[in-house]
Amino acid sequence: MIIYDFLYKFVFNITQSAAIGDITAMIISGALPLLILVLPFTLVAVWLERKVSAHMQDRLGPMRTGSHGWLQTVADLIKLLQKEDIVASDNDRPLFNLAPILVFAGSYLVFAALPFSSAYIGSNIDLGIIFIIAASGFVVAGILMAGWSSNNKYSLLGAMRSAAQIISYEIPTILVILTIIMITGTTNLRTLSEMQTGHFWNWMIFGGAGLSLSKFLFIPFMLIGFVILYISTLAEVNRTPFDIPEAESELVSGYHTEYSGMKFAMFFLAEYANMFAVSAIVSAIFFGGYQSPIGYLGNTLGLPWMIPIEQFLWFASKGVFFVLVQMWLRWTLPRLRVDQLMALCWKYLIPIAFVNLIIVGLITVL
Amino acid sequence: MKEYFQNIWYGLTTVLIGMRVTFKHLFVPAVTIQYPDVKLKLPERERNRLYVNMDDCIGCDQCARACPVDCIAIETVKSIPGEDLGKTSNGKKKALWVTKFDIDIAKCCFCQLCVFPCPTECIYMTDVFEFSEFERDKLVYNFVTLTQSEIEDKKANYAKLEAEKAAQKAANATSVKPAEKEENKQ
Amino acid sequence: MSIYDIIFYLFATITLVSAFFVVTIRNIVYSAFFLLFTFFGVAGIYVILGADFVAMVQLIVYVGGILILILFGVMLTNKITNVQIKSGTSQVIPAAIGVGLFAGILTAALINTPWRKIDTSPLLPTTQGLGLMLISEYGVVFELLGILLLIALIGAASLARK
Ligand code: SF4
Ligand code: SF4
Repeated sequence: MIIYDFLYKFVFNITQSAAIGDITAMIISGALPLLILVLPFTLVAVWLERKVSAHMQDRLGPMRTGSHGWLQTVADLIKLLQKEDIVASDNDRPLFNLAPILVFAGSYLVFAALPFSSAYIGSNIDLGIIFIIAASGFVVAGILMAGWSSNNKYSLLGAMRSAAQIISYEIPTILVILTIIMITGTTNLRTLSEMQTGHFWNWMIFGGAGLSLSKFLFIPFMLIGFVILYISTLAEVNRTPFDIPEAESELVSGYHTEYSGMKFAMFFLAEYANMFAVSAIVSAIFFGGYQSPIGYLGNTLGLPWMIPIEQFLWFASKGVFFVLVQMWLRWTLPRLRVDQLMALCWKYLIPIAFVNLIIVGLITVL
Repeated sequence: MKEYFQNIWYGLTTVLIGMRVTFKHLFVPAVTIQYPDVKLKLPERERNRLYVNMDDCIGCDQCARACPVDCIAIETVKSIPGEDLGKTSNGKKKALWVTKFDIDIAKCCFCQLCVFPCPTECIYMTDVFEFSEFERDKLVYNFVTLTQSEIEDKKANYAKLEAEKAAQKAANATSVKPAEKEENKQ
Repeated sequence: MSIYDIIFYLFATITLVSAFFVVTIRNIVYSAFFLLFTFFGVAGIYVILGADFVAMVQLIVYVGGILILILFGVMLTNKITNVQIKSGTSQVIPAAIGVGLFAGILTAALINTPWRKIDTSPLLPTTQGLGLMLISEYGVVFELLGILLLIALIGAASLARK
């Protein structure tokens, strides 16, 4: 917000127009850093995914482009940029072109409400978590659009599966988030992070701040909530073991089978951005968000300007850690069948999340 | 009800067991090798690209006849009497100029049938197996050591010899009686 | 003109234009996707009005729920693209009367409502107030609505089982 004020004053002094000042300040201070963050993250994450999968299968992965292949994704990006943009003649052209943009916009929207540090959050809206849930609706619409406009049975099947899956798994996600809202009384992710300040035993997974009886009673239920939230967000981003929408062996690659070149890259970007987003949400809700578990170096050294930077690093590393766990799971578990997928959601996650919600509610009343 | 909780328990524990296995493998050294930089030792009797040592080849055409896919093409020219073609390493005397020895390696099925009949053991398998090309024509290997002009030379020499012989024969044929008579007289 | 005015006109244009296409376009799938933009525009207008919670719920329920349901219905229906949508003009006079009446009522309501002008900045979060009102003042209505939805859910499930 400091950046915003500075930019606003700077532009206002030049143009003498509040509207232009507002818009430029918003874009430069709010939207641009996110884009600058999302793109390199995707490059690193794709490389990590390859390396992690390789090492888990006793391989080495890319080794030749740069040291240990770290330039491989850059090379792939350049390749994708050069590729021909193929649009089959029976594709529904307007929707076909719009779909990747919608999907990417939907996942990018989520980043607006993520608190990266106490000094930087894209938009500090009061309804942070609910906004994130709402934004994912665009992703579903975009996926359906892509599947439909591709005019390809695999794409359509993949899109429908994906939409059904995301919608079903949104319920346990929301239920778990509801338990947290009930305890903390806020939907603002920044406030939520601020409440978990101090050391790691103040994190929600350890029952939140304070030292009352309810804190200790919360711990097992927070653990259950965390597991449910992690599983359902995993399903929402269509990662293995919940990747039946893009099951390579049966649906080629689902809703983006027909896409090539940059449009395909946008889907890819959205997928990895989503991975980070859900990991960041999990860490913001249960693991203190940008809060350091052990105190800040800036405090001990007496350099207050260092704290936001440290917070950002903590936030990023927590996010990346959960992304790594997602990859770990991906290379461990086989794909679920459709009926198993639905059984897991409706028979296990939702009832347990409900019971969890009620018990936590009772404890809060205590 | 009991089954329900058992299912949950099994689900969680088996996932954790699986995760432990993959985590362990994260630190197992890779079993793959960095292929073009590091290569596996090839087995002793590997069959790869053929090589023909032309110094030893006597142009007997045995290999071409043994080949099941006809990918060896050999042409030879007889030497003229004065020429010395040298000997092969196992002491055979060479009598033919090999003017064409092409192996179309694209057709070759690496059956090694051409290797055994060779009397001088000059056609054999090497350990080279990376010889892909962008054009198929480049996979036709020429082993002939003679230059084009030499080949022409040899052919011309032989043709001359033939012609001389033919001329001789013709001459003989026309004067066969007198010659015979002369011989008879002597 | 402040930035809020610009954004308002932007959202209003999106809403109106896409709503127009929802009604007029012949392709059902296109129509459904234009509905997406209509919902989005309406949510934006809610935000500008300071109704942040309503805007988010609008997105969750309409974009994330109803629109997807419509799309599913459309896509699972056989031979969607070949269906000839009939939109001729048959009953002109009754329709005109109906539309005129409706427009008149709307205009009357528009003029007679005492619109409250609120100071746009700063917008305060409305969630807490809404929640308290739902639990206290409108508690009975809220519960009744909940029961209605539950009945609908059970009905749908029992119909689907047949
Ligand atoms: S290896 Fe077999 S196919 Fe190849 S040249 Fe020799 S005989 Fe022919
Ligand atoms: S069998 Fe051996 S000697 Fe005979 S033509 Fe072939 S390579 Fe030459």
